[in-house]
Amino acid sequence: MFSRPEQKGENGTNERLDFAVLSRRTSRETMSVELILTVVVLTNLRLLGASRLGACIRTVGLQGLLLGLLPLATGGRLTTLHVVVLAVGSMVLKGFVFPRLLFWALREAHVTREVEPFIGYTGSLLIGGFMLGGAVWLGDRLVIGGTTDLSWVVAVAMFSILTGLFLIVARKRAIHQVLGFLVMENGIYIFGIGAIPGIPLLVELGLLLDIFVAVFVMGIAVYHINREFDHMETDKLDVLRG
Amino acid sequence: MNSYLMIWLLLIVPVAAACLAVLQKSARVALRIALVGVGIELCLGLAIAKRVFSSGAATAGAEWLRLDALGAYNLVVMLVVYFLSSVYALFYFGREIDAGKLVANRARMFAGLWCGALGAMTLVFVSNNLGIMWVGIEATTLLTAPLISVHVTRESLEAMWKYILICSVGVAFAFMGTLLVAAGARSMGIESEHILFWTELCRNASVLDPAFVKAGFVFLLVGYGTKAGLAPMHNWLPDAHSQAPTPVSAIFSGFMLNAALYCVMRYVPVVESVPGLKGWSSSLLILLGIVSILVAAVFILSQHDLKRLLAYHSVEHMGIITLGLGLGGLGTFAALFHTLNHSLCKTVAFFTAGRLGQACGTHNMSRLSGSMRLSIVWGGGLFCSILVLIGIAPFAIFMSEFQILKAAADNQAIVVAALFLVGCGIVFVGALGHAMPLAWGDPGDARLALPARRAEAAIVFLPLAALLVLGLWMPASFKHALAAAADVIKQAGAVPADSMFSIAR
Repeated sequence: MFSRPEQKGENGTNERLDFAVLSRRTSRETMSVELILTVVVLTNLRLLGASRLGACIRTVGLQGLLLGLLPLATGGRLTTLHVVVLAVGSMVLKGFVFPRLLFWALREAHVTREVEPFIGYTGSLLIGGFMLGGAVWLGDRLVIGGTTDLSWVVAVAMFSILTGLFLIVARKRAIHQVLGFLVMENGIYIFGIGAIPGIPLLVELGLLLDIFVAVFVMGIAVYHINREFDHMETDKLDVLRG
Repeated sequence: MNSYLMIWLLLIVPVAAACLAVLQKSARVALRIALVGVGIELCLGLAIAKRVFSSGAATAGAEWLRLDALGAYNLVVMLVVYFLSSVYALFYFGREIDAGKLVANRARMFAGLWCGALGAMTLVFVSNNLGIMWVGIEATTLLTAPLISVHVTRESLEAMWKYILICSVGVAFAFMGTLLVAAGARSMGIESEHILFWTELCRNASVLDPAFVKAGFVFLLVGYGTKAGLAPMHNWLPDAHSQAPTPVSAIFSGFMLNAALYCVMRYVPVVESVPGLKGWSSSLLILLGIVSILVAAVFILSQHDLKRLLAYHSVEHMGIITLGLGLGGLGTFAALFHTLNHSLCKTVAFFTAGRLGQACGTHNMSRLSGSMRLSIVWGGGLFCSILVLIGIAPFAIFMSEFQILKAAADNQAIVVAALFLVGCGIVFVGALGHAMPLAWGDPGDARLALPARRAEAAIVFLPLAALLVLGLWMPASFKHALAAAADVIKQAGAVPADSMFSIAR
């Protein structure tokens, strides 16, 4: 994922090419990465506590933009075309295209507020706190490449995945579930960027394309559901059972 | 033509057909183009499969694309099912176009996505990079989702929403699993571009980090298992299968599930050769297989909708294939054999059920009773295919299930064998209870006889005849191909393919 440094790592292997090695060298990079990841955690918490759908869409857009910056921040001076393509692609898609698409669906659906979710906002935030604690614990335990330098990356990735899953099951609006899916994908993206340097560009572009089409198809589905049912609450999609 | 070119053509033909079909004005022409595209793909697939079975794996694009015996076998099964379904779709949608139930642009959309989904599934089988394989699976989810609501109704939208959300999340789990395996492969010491190459992972399995591979395989099994419809991740499946137009249901059940299971098959030899993990993945697979069989058996008993009944049969058969895969040895061989049997039979079952449903305007079994009097092709075909599905001797499904039972006995897994038999027994009784009135019940009101074209009778009865022949006699070349495919999933070496056939007779 990142361009490989020419010189070997400190313990003689050039296998650990992740930014943990790099970040030990330049504290500025470490700081920018940690800043981005911390803001990602804050956006997740905001998503758990916010009731207005418009605010949620904007928050996910902001998160997408930040994640686009992540490879640039970790790449530092070793930025290559590969990293730039990935960064620009994901920023444009997640920061601008997705929010626009979802706002379009929202406008068609004439709704702005989540109606009485399965779990209230205070409760969601409380659960979010527990999930964050669990993610940090998991990040400390999961040792990648023989070091614990990556524990914060793994923790944030896990927290994002858990937040996404939680949003999918605890909210009723179809749009909220799309947002949950996006947050979960963001978590996987953080894990991929941070922990595994070897994923080739082609796979990542495929992943990005797939997410794009997924959100596109889901947006269309939300539109149709709204038109057919005059609502977009997924708990009322209960004709098919058994 | 060299195999390098053929692999690329396999990917190009569906995309070209999709583009051509979308550009047509007439709905019928679009459907015909889809059929021709699938036909060309079938010829290509057969030609390259013959080459792969005789002279080993073919590669293209700097090893990014690779077709070995396992991939080729699955590819051929898929293309046969796809071709049959395309022929059926031509007649099925032709009638709807005549009745004014299908407008031209929906038909065009169907034809385009139909070919696109074929391309995505082909990509799954020819990619050597496990990341690209994942991209193919996710692409099939996205391309087939709109196919469920070709007719926009409340039920079809609900089914589509469940399908796309559950499968997307599930397949995202599979990507997490792929990443974890990649993290465990960092010790391989090869160039990072090649880290997810299946060939490299197999070659270097002994130096993979067991903890990561273990975590990764759990994610992969849950992720791809969701797409394959294994219980307890199967909730989307009955809805999607019952609401989609019948040709789409046939492809869903007949092959899309197998494509996801194929991805699991790819990982099994890697995980099994990681030190300390021998037998670990097998026990997970056996557990998941048994759970799927039993859950499906319970739900089959209480079904009223014909297509939902068939959908739960899919859950059961996916469970059986997973079980065979987990048992290893003879079980792997039987699981692959079962893949073909189930795909052919389930496709025919959906064809007949779909036609009856189209004529009567319902899939409710009590209102479809006495279907044999309606039409011997559709009603009789449906009854026969249900009989084959539940494992009547001497059809091929009976043979493959028997081999799996024998594999369980070979492994001294008595509890597994007993649970398998209980599950199959419940399904047998339950489905027979549904099938008898469906064939001979009282039709209630007098209805018009349902004519069938000769081509339609052929796509119903030829696959059933093939299953009968395969149950009684397996051609040597086919046995060779199956054994080669099973050898790719390395556990197969334990029992030679010949011996069990003599015992099974």
